[in-house]
Amino acid sequence: MSDLYIIPGGDLAALLPELILCGTGVLVLLLDAFMPNSKRLLPPLAAIGTLIAGWFLAATAPSGASFGGLLESSLLTVAIGCVVLVSTLLAILASASYLRRENLGGGEYFALLLWCATGVLLMSRATELITLFVALELLSICLYSLAGYHRRLSVATEAAIKYFLLGAFVSSFVLYGIALLYGEAGTTRISEIGPYLTSGDVSPLAALGLLLLICGFAFKMSLAPFHAWAPDAYQGAPSPFVVFLSVAPKAASAVVLVRLLALVMPGGDAGWADLIALLAVLSMAVGNLVALAQRDIKRMLAYSGIAHMGYLLVPMVTLSPGSYEPLVVYLLAYALMNAGAFTVVSLLYSEPGEQHLISELSGWGYRFPLLGVCLTICMLSLGGIPPTLGFIGKYMIFVQAIDTGHLALALVIVATSLLGVFYYLRVVYTLYMRPEVREPSGLVIDLSGRIAVVLAAFGTLILGTVPGPLLDWVKGLGSGY
Amino acid sequence: MSDFLGLLTSNSLTRVVFFPALACLPLLFFKNEAERQIKLFALSASFIQLAITLVLVVGGLSGGGFETLRDVGADGKPLSWIARYGVTFDLRMDGISMPLVLLTSFLLPIILLGSWRGIERNWKGYAISMFLLTTGILGALLAFDLFLFYIFWEVMLVPMYLLIGIWGGERRVYAAVKFFLYTMAGSLLMLLGIVWMAWTYQSLSGEWSFSYFALMELQLPASQQAWLFGAFALAFAIKVPLFPFHTWLPDAHVEAPTGGSVVLAGVLLKLGTYGLLRFALPFFPHAADRFAPILITLSLIGIIYGALVAWVQEDFKKLVAYSSVAHLGFVVLGLVAFDLLAWQGSLIQMVNHGLSTGALFLLVGMLYDRRHTKKFADFGGLAKVMPWFAFFLAFSALASVGLPGLNGFVGEFLILVGAYKAGLVFPTMVAAFGVVLAAIYLLKALHESLWGPITKDENRELEDLSLREILTLTPLCILMLAIGVAPQAFLEPSEADLDRVLSTYEARLAGPAVTKPSLDRVMMADEAPAIPDLVPAVPDLVELEPGL
Repeated sequence: MSDLYIIPGGDLAALLPELILCGTGVLVLLLDAFMPNSKRLLPPLAAIGTLIAGWFLAATAPSGASFGGLLESSLLTVAIGCVVLVSTLLAILASASYLRRENLGGGEYFALLLWCATGVLLMSRATELITLFVALELLSICLYSLAGYHRRLSVATEAAIKYFLLGAFVSSFVLYGIALLYGEAGTTRISEIGPYLTSGDVSPLAALGLLLLICGFAFKMSLAPFHAWAPDAYQGAPSPFVVFLSVAPKAASAVVLVRLLALVMPGGDAGWADLIALLAVLSMAVGNLVALAQRDIKRMLAYSGIAHMGYLLVPMVTLSPGSYEPLVVYLLAYALMNAGAFTVVSLLYSEPGEQHLISELSGWGYRFPLLGVCLTICMLSLGGIPPTLGFIGKYMIFVQAIDTGHLALALVIVATSLLGVFYYLRVVYTLYMRPEVREPSGLVIDLSGRIAVVLAAFGTLILGTVPGPLLDWVKGLGSGY
Repeated sequence: MSDFLGLLTSNSLTRVVFFPALACLPLLFFKNEAERQIKLFALSASFIQLAITLVLVVGGLSGGGFETLRDVGADGKPLSWIARYGVTFDLRMDGISMPLVLLTSFLLPIILLGSWRGIERNWKGYAISMFLLTTGILGALLAFDLFLFYIFWEVMLVPMYLLIGIWGGERRVYAAVKFFLYTMAGSLLMLLGIVWMAWTYQSLSGEWSFSYFALMELQLPASQQAWLFGAFALAFAIKVPLFPFHTWLPDAHVEAPTGGSVVLAGVLLKLGTYGLLRFALPFFPHAADRFAPILITLSLIGIIYGALVAWVQEDFKKLVAYSSVAHLGFVVLGLVAFDLLAWQGSLIQMVNHGLSTGALFLLVGMLYDRRHTKKFADFGGLAKVMPWFAFFLAFSALASVGLPGLNGFVGEFLILVGAYKAGLVFPTMVAAFGVVLAAIYLLKALHESLWGPITKDENRELEDLSLREILTLTPLCILMLAIGVAPQAFLEPSEADLDRVLSTYEARLAGPAVTKPSLDRVMMADEAPAIPDLVPAVPDLVELEPGL
């Protein structure tokens, strides 16, 4: 037996999107280091790399398990991967003007972002706990550094430190959970752990291990009560980066959560379903209630994100073959509308310091008609008002809730959405129904930023008006988890 | 897609619904400063809209009745919209929606003309909001797929919110948000109800459908009907608005610009009563029957309370707003009487209220344009300086009161007769008293504004109505008179369809109670053919004859 492990070609092909992302990241970094004049080329290069990776992801048929069962590739991972790459692309487009305006470097920013996306993709595909952990760390370390990327700002440093400390703490949770599960089951392959959690006498240690893992990924998804990091991190992090931060890690964590829950559903203790329902209700309530009181648009969107993750959990409370459809559609909707909102924030607030007061946008709907309309569309979509993709997503969650008999949860969504509408509307009326309070100064509204906003906003609008093809595509995901 | 474009370019309901939305596209390219061109363009578009609606409606009139119009694709079926959930783009116009569609298109140019002077900034945005709102209203009136209906129902919200919030009065933001949240609260529950019904249908038949006729096949146990009826009725009661959900209305009306008030009173509120008539009552007959006393009580409270509150108002616009609460109480009373005459009265009263209240709001707006106040205390004796204004105000107020010979009388009379015939004796008496109250508060309004000596010097030099304003009001008054003197022509087209819905309702009510959801395919075929008259209308008379 040779000491040399030769990776089979098929496995490499399955990893191609990640390799392309990673390679583009390296290329961007090298280009920046050796050709300092090429700064303007970096964003397009990163965007093209993302597009190529996306093309490979979408165009090749899912190949199933690879690397001896460490990774898998299914229709679900492809769909989630597409959502992640959409948000990566939008983040790249939105970043260029921000970096120029704030006079920050460029190469390492895009490299970190691409590597982050690599980690997210890997995490969504990992079917083995150690691989999962490595992907999580790859993702997290890049996230921490990007959260504090605006190094001259104290809030950014504060955000990064907070995020890092809590994140590191949670990583240890995850690791401990993995250790417990391994101790009980003797394996780290997720699919083989199931029997230890569902058979006659469930091992309490294995259950504790699973609980710790769920907590860890609930943290990454910023579900209440593990949400405290999100508002601070969003506030301090570069706004265009939040486009990515607020979506991609959450999307991958949701997939991991589904994978973990599939171990105990159906057939496991009903307590797990109750736990998820509890997290969902708490997130919806806390997110929407606290968002109501926010004056800072980034913090408001952070809390609204917590609420949205609460909605997203509802189809997962009882896993059924239909759970994937609302999951993917809602994540896509969330990726687009959130990207639109944060990009507008990044373009319209020139001092990324302490605060991004909503009131500073007063009357700017007339001064910046395009951005105003796009932000309005995103807000309506976040509020779940048709004809936007946000509405279609919410509708599908309703369907799934009724289908699995969770009418009470659907009613909680109704009640909390109403609160949501209130604060999303506040942005709209600030834009159009208040007199201006400040003159724009120091703004850089470039083409790529505009493209990002238009793609995001009109994407939600068009997909909401003509959702047929998207839903038909997503329907194919329905089988098997 | 090509089917959709085909419909859009032909004489179809699709075109009627989407023409206003499409008219917004060229508007985007006008410069904000080119206000006059924007106004003229919007006005011409609104006339074209009226013309295409008229062409369509005239095509459907046959004999005295109205033949149901529907939009179909090349395969003779409604266009598929979201295949995954069986959602179709199913637009139909029958005798029930036709008068309201016509009213909507008819009011559009009048609203634009009436806003000529009152809207002082951003006419472009105003016209766009108004057109999008019109598309939403028309779509909701014509949709026969509940998913589609819900989409249009919600699409109405945002433009109306903007109309109140941007061009409204002092407390406009408060009023706009209140309007939005109230409506949203009701409609989210309705959405849940719609999804629940479609899901039940899906679990019984194996395929998704939101079609009106498919969901009509659902036979639901009484307890489920009660919840679903609650969800639908709440959404519609908020829109109507029925007491005690009416509190958003005075705020919205008072703060909205004139055009916004006209469209709100004219057609938006009618969506609530239309929804009750079209969806809530026939879908859940057992629940409707059970909750009818509650609805009757609430509508009576609305009639009396609305009238009393209107009486004491010092603000002209508020008075008209509260009179809406009272008038729509009549409409709801007529609907829950479950009698053909009362239903005819309710339907015609929806149109009447749109015309007369629309005219009153326009008149108040014209007064406001001149004096920048709406308080009675600032007027008095206006008839001396503004005879034309006095004529139109008195005419519209009398129509609203229900003077025989004008339209209001027809509706209220039919509702009262129908309700009495249906055995609602006490409610009829109370409602009739409401008519007296209406006379009191509207005559008070006339008295305080028009008659008597001129007490304020500012009023001595007031200009009378301009030609444009007279042209705005005349068509409304002509229609008020026409409905008043020849009501039969306006009642006939909708009679057959109202009768059809009513007999469906009665047949379903008489049907066996079920303990779990089931489908009954016999009740209503997909094509909505003339339903065999399940409740024979004649036997009563036959029995009586020997005695005579």
